[in-house]
Amino acid sequence: MKIFALMKKELQSFFFSPIAYIVFASFLMIVGYLFWVILVSSRVASLEPMLYNAAFILLLASPVLTMRLISEEKKSRTIELLLTSPVSPAEIIAGKFLACFVLYLVLIALTLQYPLILSFYSTEFDLGPVYSGYIGLILIGAAFISLGLFASTLTENQIIAAMISFGGLILFWVFGWAKNVFDNSFGEILGNLSIFDRYAEFLRGVVDSGNVVFFLVFTLIWLFLAARVLESDRWR
Amino acid sequence: MIEMKNVTKFYDNFRALNCIDLSVEKGEILGLLGPNGAGKTTAMRILTSFIPATSGTATVAGFDVFEDSLEVRRRLGYLPETPPLYPEMTVGSYLNFIGELRELPAKLRRTRIDYVADRIGLLESLPRVIGTLSKGYRQRVGLAQALLHNPEVLILDEPTVGLDPNQIIEIRGLVKDLAQDHTIVLSTHILPEVSMTCGRVVIINEGEIVAVDSVANLEKTVAGKPSWKITFKPGANQNWRETIEKVPDAEIADLVETAGTCEFILRLGSADAFDGLFRKLADMGGIFTEISPVKATLEDVFLKLTSGEERKEAA
Repeated sequence: MKIFALMKKELQSFFFSPIAYIVFASFLMIVGYLFWVILVSSRVASLEPMLYNAAFILLLASPVLTMRLISEEKKSRTIELLLTSPVSPAEIIAGKFLACFVLYLVLIALTLQYPLILSFYSTEFDLGPVYSGYIGLILIGAAFISLGLFASTLTENQIIAAMISFGGLILFWVFGWAKNVFDNSFGEILGNLSIFDRYAEFLRGVVDSGNVVFFLVFTLIWLFLAARVLESDRWR
Repeated sequence: MIEMKNVTKFYDNFRALNCIDLSVEKGEILGLLGPNGAGKTTAMRILTSFIPATSGTATVAGFDVFEDSLEVRRRLGYLPETPPLYPEMTVGSYLNFIGELRELPAKLRRTRIDYVADRIGLLESLPRVIGTLSKGYRQRVGLAQALLHNPEVLILDEPTVGLDPNQIIEIRGLVKDLAQDHTIVLSTHILPEVSMTCGRVVIINEGEIVAVDSVANLEKTVAGKPSWKITFKPGANQNWRETIEKVPDAEIADLVETAGTCEFILRLGSADAFDGLFRKLADMGGIFTEISPVKATLEDVFLKLTSGEERKEAA
């Protein structure tokens, strides 16, 4: 109940500020452009390249959505209200996460026009990779948001929060490159941490339970850490 | 209702509170008084379990603020120094959000919002966006937020800051009314406010309690000799000063002489000596245009206890 009150309030603030609209507009513009360019040049009815690039654009856009979640409450001291209400830090984090996640789902839902267009005009359009691709996109979004939310609990400065989440997310993206450099178990461990390698498997049409669990655990760990940081503010 | 025992708070190496002992009874209004940076806000934040004490214990309604923080927070209404408002929300949706956080069921929430908004004079402002409100109105919204769930304990950090004189009087009245079934701790550096609303006063300076008592008792402690403010036309009588000075322990202070009129503060060893002296001066042809007893005010208490002179003397 309180989680939903927090979520509702947070969703309202998203739409009162121009940030959500600007992120939506630029994301949809870029994705629309990519869809067109890729389709015209390859002449293949596949969403894979577009979805792959969409995830990268979301990596850049999601810190902009998450940076204010806790930082702003700290800066405007409304965090004092939340932490002196009968609400636990875990509930605050859950409410904030859900609000941002709902926003993300709306954003993703707006790209469903492209598979619709393809299925309408193409005779041999395979829907399998589209379903798995969207599952992957939803999971990777949860991962982006949880890490960004964690970064936002660390500071009252939104820019710093955004920069920490950029750094973190890009690091988890490039971890996969280690596989090509180190031909040993170290390279393999780093490779397993790569969110994009795992995401790419979804795009190929494979919903591997290991990958699903990875994203869920990844998300929960960052949410857990975010709640701990928020709680620890009370101990200092 | 509220108990603080030996509470000390360090911010890194800075000692904000030192061994604070404090207890507040149910239905009492306690005023926390002190200069800026004295530790008033820190003490309140510890009571609301927003920050922990470095050592010592504090309980609210029998619950420890650290161990049973959630129970404490359920019973508490808190107006922080900066009213915690979301500028993009309307007053109504903000109060509704607070009601949800405070676990009020939907029906009760609506009646409480209307009741509190009515009491605080916000009824007309419910559909307004908080960001467009003036400072005084924001303060009211902050106060409404603290009262909404009808908490047992109210902690108000400078509740009348930014309000105009009429509003201040209204809010003071409100606070007094609330004291019937709430326990209230309020901090302020507006002294008349304390004299008017608080049953008991705690004066804090540099993190230490320097005085705890009722306003009247505190005023008595610094009163010293009985004093009067006198405006006096001596007329032809040029010996009035000698006449006064003949009285044992009499003192004339702050003398201002202008065109045949003298204004001064008269201090006497005892109040009984005043009648005789008054008659004597009047018989000598002097005309009194003002005689008013000078009482020590809370302001004197405050200045004496926090200005540092006291402590230098002690050292």
